[in-house]
Amino acid sequence: MKERNTTSTLKRILVNCSSQAKEYGGCVAKKVPEVERDMCLKEFLALKNCMQNVCLTSVFCYIKNFSMSANASSSQLTVGLSGSGGLSHAYVQYPPLKCNLPGSRGLYYDDANKLLLSPTSDQVFSWKTVPFSPHVAATADYINEGPVLSIRYSLDAKSIAVHRSNQEIQFFQRETRETFTHMCKSESESILGFFWTDCPVCDLVVVKTSGLDLLTVSFTSKSVNLVETKKLSVNWYVYTHGSRLVLLASGMQCKTLTGFQLSSVGIVRLPRFEMVMAKSDANSKPVLAAEDVFIITVYGRIYCLQIDRVAMQLHSYRFYRDAVVQQGSLPMFSSKISVSVVDNVLLVHQVDARVSILYDIFEDSRAPISAPLPLLLRGLPQSHTGRPVNVGESLDRNSSNHELMFYGDDWTFLVPDLICDVASKSVWKIHLDLEVISSSSSEVPSNLEFLQRRKLEASKTKQLCLAITRAFILERRPVTMVAKAIDVLVSSYSHSVKTCSNLKETKVDEASASVGTNASNSSRSAKDESRVGVGDKSFNLSASDSDDQSREIDSRDLQKSGKENLLGAESSRGEVQSSSLHTQQLGLGNNQLNANNSERQDSQLTSPAISPDEMYSCVFVPVGEEIVGDPSYLVAIIVEFLRSTNSEKIKVRPNIYVFTIQLLVRYERFAELSLLIINKVLEPSKEVAMQLLESGHQNPQMRKLALDMLRQLSLHHDYVTLLVQDGCYLEALRYARKHKVTSVRPSLFLEAALASKDSQHLAAVLRFFSDFIAGFRNTPEYQDYFRILNEMNTGLAV
Amino acid sequence: MGMASVNTASEGMQLCIFDLRRGQQEGQELDKILFFFPADLPFATQLSVIGLSEGLITFTRIFSPDAACEVIEAERHSHVFFEAESDIWMVMVVEKSKESKAACQVDALRKVLKEVHSLFVLFHGTMRSMLEKETSGGLIRSHLYPFITDYLSDFLIGKKLQLPSFHDCLMERGTVQMLTVGREAAIEVQSLVKVLECSAGTTSCYSLVLFQDLLVSTTLSPDDTISLFTYAVLRWFRGNDGFLASDIWGADNGSQTSVTPIVYLQLTEERMYLCAYQYKSLTIILLVPVSSILNGEQGLSLVKQQVLENVCVLSVPASLKMLRVEEKLSKGWGGENAYHVSGYRYLLVDDERVSRASPPAKVMTLAKDSLLAMSKLREEVNLEKKAKCSSSEVNCDKELEICVRAKNGAWVIARTSRGKELYMVLEKASETLLYASDAVEKFSNRYCSGVFSLD
Repeated sequence: MKERNTTSTLKRILVNCSSQAKEYGGCVAKKVPEVERDMCLKEFLALKNCMQNVCLTSVFCYIKNFSMSANASSSQLTVGLSGSGGLSHAYVQYPPLKCNLPGSRGLYYDDANKLLLSPTSDQVFSWKTVPFSPHVAATADYINEGPVLSIRYSLDAKSIAVHRSNQEIQFFQRETRETFTHMCKSESESILGFFWTDCPVCDLVVVKTSGLDLLTVSFTSKSVNLVETKKLSVNWYVYTHGSRLVLLASGMQCKTLTGFQLSSVGIVRLPRFEMVMAKSDANSKPVLAAEDVFIITVYGRIYCLQIDRVAMQLHSYRFYRDAVVQQGSLPMFSSKISVSVVDNVLLVHQVDARVSILYDIFEDSRAPISAPLPLLLRGLPQSHTGRPVNVGESLDRNSSNHELMFYGDDWTFLVPDLICDVASKSVWKIHLDLEVISSSSSEVPSNLEFLQRRKLEASKTKQLCLAITRAFILERRPVTMVAKAIDVLVSSYSHSVKTCSNLKETKVDEASASVGTNASNSSRSAKDESRVGVGDKSFNLSASDSDDQSREIDSRDLQKSGKENLLGAESSRGEVQSSSLHTQQLGLGNNQLNANNSERQDSQLTSPAISPDEMYSCVFVPVGEEIVGDPSYLVAIIVEFLRSTNSEKIKVRPNIYVFTIQLLVRYERFAELSLLIINKVLEPSKEVAMQLLESGHQNPQMRKLALDMLRQLSLHHDYVTLLVQDGCYLEALRYARKHKVTSVRPSLFLEAALASKDSQHLAAVLRFFSDFIAGFRNTPEYQDYFRILNEMNTGLAV
Repeated sequence: MGMASVNTASEGMQLCIFDLRRGQQEGQELDKILFFFPADLPFATQLSVIGLSEGLITFTRIFSPDAACEVIEAERHSHVFFEAESDIWMVMVVEKSKESKAACQVDALRKVLKEVHSLFVLFHGTMRSMLEKETSGGLIRSHLYPFITDYLSDFLIGKKLQLPSFHDCLMERGTVQMLTVGREAAIEVQSLVKVLECSAGTTSCYSLVLFQDLLVSTTLSPDDTISLFTYAVLRWFRGNDGFLASDIWGADNGSQTSVTPIVYLQLTEERMYLCAYQYKSLTIILLVPVSSILNGEQGLSLVKQQVLENVCVLSVPASLKMLRVEEKLSKGWGGENAYHVSGYRYLLVDDERVSRASPPAKVMTLAKDSLLAMSKLREEVNLEKKAKCSSSEVNCDKELEICVRAKNGAWVIARTSRGKELYMVLEKASETLLYASDAVEKFSNRYCSGVFSLD
């Protein structure tokens, strides 16, 4: 019921806003590729308004339906809202993580450890954001009084570094509370910031106006040692731990960037490159700011997005080991832009327009994957409104409240998927609603491709893919189209099988890595070497990125060691945790305990890939039950599936063959069936043979095929038994002798011989077993039949 | 078609079709005759042939009501009987060859009768239904004459009718020959067939796919498959819409080439449009129910268009399928002598529906004595089979093994096992039976997955 509602809502949007959508689309199409500031703004806002209105009304409808069909209790309404009631491609879930503490002196995010940090006068409180839970308790650590510019925990979480001033970084050991301070040597340079690193040569990187200092930190000597300096004039820098990449801006316009990647495999210096900045007139020289540059990691690749305010474009660059390549630009509809990455989907938040646009840049496509829609808030309990009288009204109030709050000036977007509301000290995690995204796409094969790339909430995504495929087949779409969709699913499965072993390795190595970081610094290098290529998020793609291998530029940057990227493993681990968290939330909000269990079971899934077995049980069987009449369409689809699995060299279990036989037999299409058997399109197996035997009642040809199959499979026992059943006991005996089949009871043969009323044959069979089986003459069986034989012979004589 | 010459030149053979339900009144005997070849024979002679046949049928029916007489061997002639439809009989009278006294292959001749009948039924429906439609018999006669004379023209070599004889003992009329394909190619073919059948828009389409003269895929019933296969191998020519057309059989008198033939399915008697398309060596025959197409030829051309777009036009991605299948099959195709096994001359028959044999050119190399011996042996096996089938109804296909040494020292071998038959001539086998038997065993294991292996 939920799904249907969502779809119909979406349809309503498409129907109701079609004129606005057409106008907007037409306007953009006219102006592309010259994209300008506020291009088509009027049309865009009209479309946005229309969409929002339809969304709201449909939510009302949904809630009303819901409360009519079920008893309208508040908890159920909550479920309705937190389900797919609100319609948007992305949403945040109520409640947020509250980081509100008395005496807090600001909120900092340590993206390496995924910690939210809030220092007070002499303590720092930290909240884990992975797994994200609004109920997570804060941990407190003592630090000295003093100013805080930024604060980060070391990667082994044993010490804390606090950026105190332009000249000073202070270190605290958490356990011993030991502390020391590192000062800048020269007065002329100042510290811009710092980060911890898992690079083999150093622990800490300090970014100064004069360049990078690579340091090791030792609490035993209470000092830092300078390992290396990278001299460079720096105006500002950006760094994300996910990419291990630091970009240093220099020059008058700050648009000359130098990058270093400091990963566990070592340090890579990127070629210096210039960012593209349009000029409004000849004399003006816009200056690039740190807020205008974002480093994002998508599918293990590293990109940089840069805001060009004059051109109103978001330029993207992709980093390779030895090159930086501009990839094209995304449009800007707002002067304030922020980005998030959720499950490898890029969200560009057009803050002023209060919408987010989603891109899947897997295949360098810059087309958005859904219409611009605002982020929604889900799961807001009704008691918060204080007036549970009128559903519509209260919701109205809520949504308007939150719309005011949403995309406000207090919002800070944290990498990769968090939103921090500085004013209310609350943190939200962004989720994608894949159901909504996929229902807005009419191209099923490419939609499935998109879904198969999603790793978070793998089991939910998988169910979605299955439902889409089922519906696609039930709608009797052209076989070639369905074949395409099936190809997508099969190749995705094949891919996941191939990388599966790698994934396990990664996990093992990760464990060893954490041991390594717990050990002292002196012994770390050896241990770290063992995880080479694991924690590395270097510029190369993951090896699995087959599309890109064909492209010239990528062939260069495939590092031998960096085959596997940590991201996959990290995010999959995150997924496990977050989805179990999700179930906890559900459990708190209502009493869906059953749903809880099943979801927890599935939460181990790391990929939405669909195995042939699942295709069988979740697509073909249910579709077979629903399709009425001639099965040839479904058989056509199954043949396409077999073609696909065959070309990917994936084994298919016999159950699907058995199912195909049943389909064809039901409509007596024996000619087709025997062709499929003879050509081994339905591969021989005992199960298949048995199914054919069953159909043998209707068509003797099938029984013959089954017998041939048993013989070819060397299933001697079954073959001999069936031969005897057919009355061919002499042939069966010959076969039994040749293949030494002793498991078939002699009495079967004797009974068959007796049934033929041929005393010579009976004598022959009796004689055969006397010779063939030692001691057969002493069995009562022998004596019985010997007596019968004698009676037959005397009867003849008389 | 040169039929005039057939009429005059073939005194060796007579073929007649008559209906026992007609012409029972004195003086109306001529009404029985539906077809007679040669047509220029005097009616008196025609009637005497038919009178004799009818007499024999009536007489033998007393003893065997369900299966009346099959053959009469006279001193100089053989009479081969075939009850095509109930009370409609086809009789072929063949002069015995003077040079070799051996009986010509009666079974092969009966299969000729069977074949011509099934082809006629394929294109015109049953004779009985046509007689019921038009009781005077004029309609059926006007259809039978051109149809059968055209069919017979295929046996014409020079001016002489060359009917099946001992030379043809290693082939089996009325069976299909199949192309052996690997699993991957088979899946591709199936995928093509399914797309094809679904693209025609109606669910009850059937198809037949041939590569060269070999069957690759069929969704038709075995009987219809055999008829259509026979027809397809016999003749086509390319129509102007890219589809193949046939000049005579499909259409009524004074036909135009653009008329799509209509065929009748045997089991359901459903009428189907027959559309055939060829790409290089690949031929696809699609049967579309006449009832599913609203305005005849016009509606059909739409369907054809659709099929062309989906499967056959190479610019459409989906149609690459046809190209790919043709390529794949061509790659796996071993040429005309693909199924030749050196040292062996063989015929393999499966369930009287599918056969495979040494290529005709290779069979030609056999000595006449070998062929005569094989011809005789086949006759024996046929008798044996019939005897077994009539004695016990349940298990017709029991095992049988016969090895005969021919005059020229060749081994002539027959083996049957569970509905499969293997005939083999080994001219170069040495003296011993053991050797010959060994050769059969090897062949069976290698090419028949051990079906004929005895112990």
